Amino acid sequence: MDISSFYGFLGTDTTDFILRMIIMVAKIAVVIVIALLHVAYSTWFERKIIGHMQIRLGPMRVGYHGLLQPFADFVKLFFKEDIIPSSGDRSVFQLAPMIALFATISSLAVIPFFNDFVIAKNMNVGLLYLFAMSSLSAYGIILAGWSSNSKYAFLGGLRSSAQVISYEIALALSLVGIMVLSGSLNLVEIIEAQQKHWYGMYVVVQFPAYILFLICAFAETNRTPFDLPEAESELVAGYFVEYSGMRFSLFFMAEYIAMIIMSCIAVTCFWGGWTLPPVVMEALPFLAVVPGLVWFLLKVYCHLFLFYWVRATVPRFRYDHLMSLGWKVLIPLALANIVITSIVKFLF
Amino acid sequence: MTVKQLIDKVFLTEILKGMALTFKMMLSKPVTIQYPDEKRKIYPGFRGKHAFVRDAKTGRQKCIMCMKCVNICPSQCISLKKGRDENNKPFLERYDIEALRCIYCGYCVEVCPVCALVLTEDFGYCSYTKDAIFFDKDKMLKNWDEFVAKLSGDVYWNKFWRPDGVDIAKMPKSKREQAPVPIRPTAAVPSDTVPEKKPVNPAEKPPEPAAEVEEKPEEKKEVV
Repeated sequence: MDISSFYGFLGTDTTDFILRMIIMVAKIAVVIVIALLHVAYSTWFERKIIGHMQIRLGPMRVGYHGLLQPFADFVKLFFKEDIIPSSGDRSVFQLAPMIALFATISSLAVIPFFNDFVIAKNMNVGLLYLFAMSSLSAYGIILAGWSSNSKYAFLGGLRSSAQVISYEIALALSLVGIMVLSGSLNLVEIIEAQQKHWYGMYVVVQFPAYILFLICAFAETNRTPFDLPEAESELVAGYFVEYSGMRFSLFFMAEYIAMIIMSCIAVTCFWGGWTLPPVVMEALPFLAVVPGLVWFLLKVYCHLFLFYWVRATVPRFRYDHLMSLGWKVLIPLALANIVITSIVKFLF
Repeated sequence: MTVKQLIDKVFLTEILKGMALTFKMMLSKPVTIQYPDEKRKIYPGFRGKHAFVRDAKTGRQKCIMCMKCVNICPSQCISLKKGRDENNKPFLERYDIEALRCIYCGYCVEVCPVCALVLTEDFGYCSYTKDAIFFDKDKMLKNWDEFVAKLSGDVYWNKFWRPDGVDIAKMPKSKREQAPVPIRPTAAVPSDTVPEKKPVNPAEKPPEPAAEVEEKPEEKKEVV
């Protein structure tokens, strides 16, 4: 039965539009709910990993091995008093965490999770959109630091703006090699381009770029060793000192989603997204039974683990070291990578 | 800059070493003791909840009201009142320890000439009221009963009854002859056999070397 006959009075185009809208909204809801669940459990995962690396146990009391801890934390944050500094800029203060969260959450729209499951299909500037959104989220941080009217928050915001501007360049440049090789900014096409090679992952040919990308991703998401914006030991908590309750947790979610997004970009651009290398698929054909989402998530979890692993190991950078690393080392290396990749691509 | 230094700098070998270490630590067994579920082993000599030793013969405390514990207590948390009954015989009217002020130094246990006091190995006695942690003489005896009920074995010995580093000859006779205290009602009946019993605690020196006790004053005399 033709489904349009139900909505015949609206006309085919309108029906089509409504159906598309419903599907789109459902997709968005599913992705956001799953992403927020991932945020909840990545905090649990982080506390567990760092705990065990420090020969502790991590959360153990709420649920089996602390599995319900994220929900306990959420309930606690939800019912906390929402304090707005009386001398702060009230409206900007309320707006800042939303900017931070929505800028990061909207990056999820272009990530291809598995075979053709993308919210925004055929977005031919996918990678560019991701960069734009990750720089937008820095506005949340800067505005939060400014509107709090506190010296710690303000310094955190200043540091964050400087850091994001410096590392954004190197981050984008480190992915130009991928764009040159795949000839596209569309993330789905980048994955398909990787499948044309026997190795199926650009990390094999773009390994230096991958390392550069990882370093910049750590800086971009304000994780250790580049967590200067929120340096607990000097700035208390950095840009969100004055935030409490739900508004604080919005920043918290934004930070973790940004980390997941960075892992997703790394997986998509360097590790072949939901696919396995053709050489592996030929050797072990039974792996085709496993859905692509499993491989995608496994790769993302490995990257998240790397984030936590580095956090448990490396101390924070000094501020001038951070700047000189970004401008004098990472950007020249990324430029050199582009030149070499282009020459190799032109010759072969 | 040597080649090795250059390689170290380019490949971040120090960071990789650190990461290898943290990974190894992640696989090792955590040292956490989850307190209410697991408890750490308490070694002899732990100083915890205060108690009066219940004398097997009299069924009461052994305190002779000598005031030594009251005088030595650095935090002055012990108070004692001697009373006299109708026969003008002294008895312990009050004996109070404010355990919240106690610093658990164990001096009172060391100084007690009759080994009447003990800081037991009981440590979990927090409370919502101050009264529950204010020990009078009845509570002190109750603490002892509660403590020995949890012990295995027939006798109990506290190492601070005969402190290390103090010449045993200088201790009062009752302290020198103190044997491990019987803690089981059945074991308490043949009270004559108790001093001959070997102590349970290996760290404790048995009180038998009477010869040694006599020798030492002589040595001291020679020195003088």
